[in-house]
Amino acid sequence: MVMGVVEYILSPLLALIIGIFFLGLSRKIMARIHWRYGPPLTQPIIDIIKLFSQKSGSHGSLFNLGIILSLAGSIVVVLFMPFGQMCPLSSSGGLLVILYMMLLGPLGIALSGGEGANPNISIGISRKLILALGYEVPLLLILLAVMTHYETISIVEVVKKQQHAGWSFISLPLLLPGIAYFLILPAILGLRPFEVVQAPQEIASGPMVEYGGKFLAFATIQHAFSLFIGIALFVNLFLGGASNPVTFFIKMLVVFILGLFINAAFPRFRIEQAVKYLWRWPTLLAFVGLIVVLIIRR
Amino acid sequence: MSLELLLIIAFGGAFLTYLLGKISSGLRDSFAVFISLALVAVIAFLYGKPLHKAFYSGFLGLPLVLRLNMLSWFFAITIAVVGALSIIFSLSYIKGRERTDFYYLMMLLVNASMLGIVLSGDLVSFYIFWEIMSWSAFLLISYNRGPALAAGMKYIIMSIIGSTAMLVGMLSLYASYGTLSISEIAPQIASASPGYILFLSVLFFVAFGIKNAVWPFHTWLPPAHSEAPSPFSAVLSGILVRMGMYGFLLFFFVIVGSKIFLGLGRGSFHYILAWIGAINIVIPTFIAMLQNDSKRLLAWHGVGQGGYMVLGVALGTSLGVTGGIFHIVNHTSYIALLFLVVGAVEYRTNGIRDLNSLGGLIKRMPITFIGALIGVCGLIGLPLTNGFVSKWLIYKSLILQGHPFLAFGALIGTWGTILSLYKFLHNMFLGQLPERYNGIKKAPVSMQFPIIILSLIIILFGIFPGIPLKVINCIVTSFGLQSLNINIWGIGSETGALNTINIFAAVLAVGLMVWLVFRAGRKAEPLPQEDTYAAGAAIPREKYHYTVDFYKPLYRMISPYLRDVIDEFYSWIATGVKGLCNGIRHVYTGDVGYYVMYIILFLSSLIFVQIMWGIW
Repeated sequence: MVMGVVEYILSPLLALIIGIFFLGLSRKIMARIHWRYGPPLTQPIIDIIKLFSQKSGSHGSLFNLGIILSLAGSIVVVLFMPFGQMCPLSSSGGLLVILYMMLLGPLGIALSGGEGANPNISIGISRKLILALGYEVPLLLILLAVMTHYETISIVEVVKKQQHAGWSFISLPLLLPGIAYFLILPAILGLRPFEVVQAPQEIASGPMVEYGGKFLAFATIQHAFSLFIGIALFVNLFLGGASNPVTFFIKMLVVFILGLFINAAFPRFRIEQAVKYLWRWPTLLAFVGLIVVLIIRR
Repeated sequence: MSLELLLIIAFGGAFLTYLLGKISSGLRDSFAVFISLALVAVIAFLYGKPLHKAFYSGFLGLPLVLRLNMLSWFFAITIAVVGALSIIFSLSYIKGRERTDFYYLMMLLVNASMLGIVLSGDLVSFYIFWEIMSWSAFLLISYNRGPALAAGMKYIIMSIIGSTAMLVGMLSLYASYGTLSISEIAPQIASASPGYILFLSVLFFVAFGIKNAVWPFHTWLPPAHSEAPSPFSAVLSGILVRMGMYGFLLFFFVIVGSKIFLGLGRGSFHYILAWIGAINIVIPTFIAMLQNDSKRLLAWHGVGQGGYMVLGVALGTSLGVTGGIFHIVNHTSYIALLFLVVGAVEYRTNGIRDLNSLGGLIKRMPITFIGALIGVCGLIGLPLTNGFVSKWLIYKSLILQGHPFLAFGALIGTWGTILSLYKFLHNMFLGQLPERYNGIKKAPVSMQFPIIILSLIIILFGIFPGIPLKVINCIVTSFGLQSLNINIWGIGSETGALNTINIFAAVLAVGLMVWLVFRAGRKAEPLPQEDTYAAGAAIPREKYHYTVDFYKPLYRMISPYLRDVIDEFYSWIATGVKGLCNGIRHVYTGDVGYYVMYIILFLSSLIFVQIMWGIW
């Protein structure tokens, strides 16, 4: 019982710390790749504290509620996500619930931004939704391949089965979906070649344009959580999860840094290019992977 | 309380309302509301009382039977509730229009005939009520005249084709078994040859598929839904169309039986049906994204959501059928809600349905917006709304049965839904309020009431799905399928349970915590909508809302593939037939002189033949 309560508090807290650490790390690594010195690792924390104490403006109650919903939704997803041995809400619907709960983050921002009454926001949200449709096509195929292969919809079961049978990333049927997930990971996380949603030079950072003060702090925290969720899902589905949080963190770190190295070198896509890319190679790999899973199952 | 009395109240009430309208409109309105609420009460009272009675036996020597079981009760209560709410909504919506007596008569008649359909215990009375429903729906669809007439015509032509298919099927059943009573046919049909059952299945699939707007019979639905008066659109999309689903369930699970249904055509029939369901999800939801008329957008979702039901039911597993049936009532709740929301906006803005000319209405119509938001969440199927539970059941069934591609179709349809419905919400309620709508008032109470009730139903069934699932479980077990382990907040099972109360508690607790943190921060000062960042430029007052071509980059990519080919094909046939008939009209001019000429030409050709070849 006590362990249960501790898990409920510990797992979002660790997720937050890891997410913010990744935010700082990505700025540092990007800067080094660009031959700059870069901000200190703690910069995001300093920013969040600073933003909390600053003045902000609100456009209405949905403007406030949307950002709360967005952050709350992301935290709830973390509760569904196995993190080492921790998974507070393991028996409440499995992967399908995670898939739907992951919607709350962007949806909250979209609703909140909608009341901001600024066309830059609307353009940003329209791009976000198009991009999401773009990566959901391969992502759904990947998740279906995993669920069909392990014959379960529970993510805890998926992790458990990998502990007996080895990582799915290096097993034959799930190799292709694994690669596909790695290819779409930057789109899910909204990183470099896919940062069309914010695109500061084009649409004044899109959905964020009306945010200031604590709103911006909340949006940053939400972003940190979504970084954690996107990578943790990959680690759980393809790298066998982990038996303790430290191993889990190391696996996440490796995935994140590898992804950064690859993506730091690319310039930003246009939204159509992004969708075309997502619907071409990752989808093809995931599709073939799903067929392989079906053939092996027969 | 007997079932005849129920139908007498329903039909008699409809005609009495019409007569009362001739005396006073206030009396008529309150009587219509009273009748529709009385029906809800009576049906709720009849819960769990199986009834079966032949009330008339003179019709062609066939007994007309009324019966009540869980399946018909489930549909009856849905019909009655949606009917009552739409009548209440109509009070202000239809006030001041012409032919209001007629409108109420038809609304109540549609309700009564739908109740008749689900209570029928034999196919003759089923058919009679079915036709009453089809025709009164036609009259309501074309109520607004203008383009509504064409929409109604399209509907009734397809509906007649469906009814004809059903009639042929019924006659064939009668010829084979000499009875049309459902409970008497069911045991006999088990011994029929598979080919014959397949023949019947195809006929009834056409009959109910047209009503259910299943691809490729969906083309009547989008114009009909968008042109009908909004309260009737709610009934039409919510439950009238789903009479087709009732027909599917009745034919495939009650008459034919699940075992034979799953074995039809060596097991391929239900598989093809499932694929039709999947196609029916994907194409319409993506077409919905391209729509600029709010009601037409919803109408396409009405087509799309039907796909989930067909998909679930076609699987034939207890999970799938439960999900499919649950999706019917869920769809009823949120699509009715959304049509009523559009109706309220239409009412306040003098009939504006164009998504590109609205905006910012959240500031003027907050309750309507909350209704829209909850309806949208339900239609997307976010957790804690009822739509999530039924979709979850269908997905789970598909994945565990090893149909990942069907599951992919269903899941990607959800994403099409998100895109199109965010556009719906954003273009109407969010963004900047145009100056011409500054003086708009809230929706009247009689419009807010149904919106609130439907919103509550969506949330209630989302958090406690066990309430309807218990009834559905009775239906599913009566089909001879395995019973599910249902508790009040979800489904327990070894292969992955669902527990909505956990999700609810988690969302509530985390939301509260985040809110407290938010409150702890410095208070945000309220800003007017003109005070937005525009890089120093002046902000235009009239149109500063990004709506037109909301997903333009995506449209450019996918719209060439999203033509409604089926509709074009039907239109092509229709133009062809029209051309042919026009050609024939040149022959049958109605001028006596022409006919005399034809007679003379015919006679002279006969004479010519005789002279040349001497046949006679």
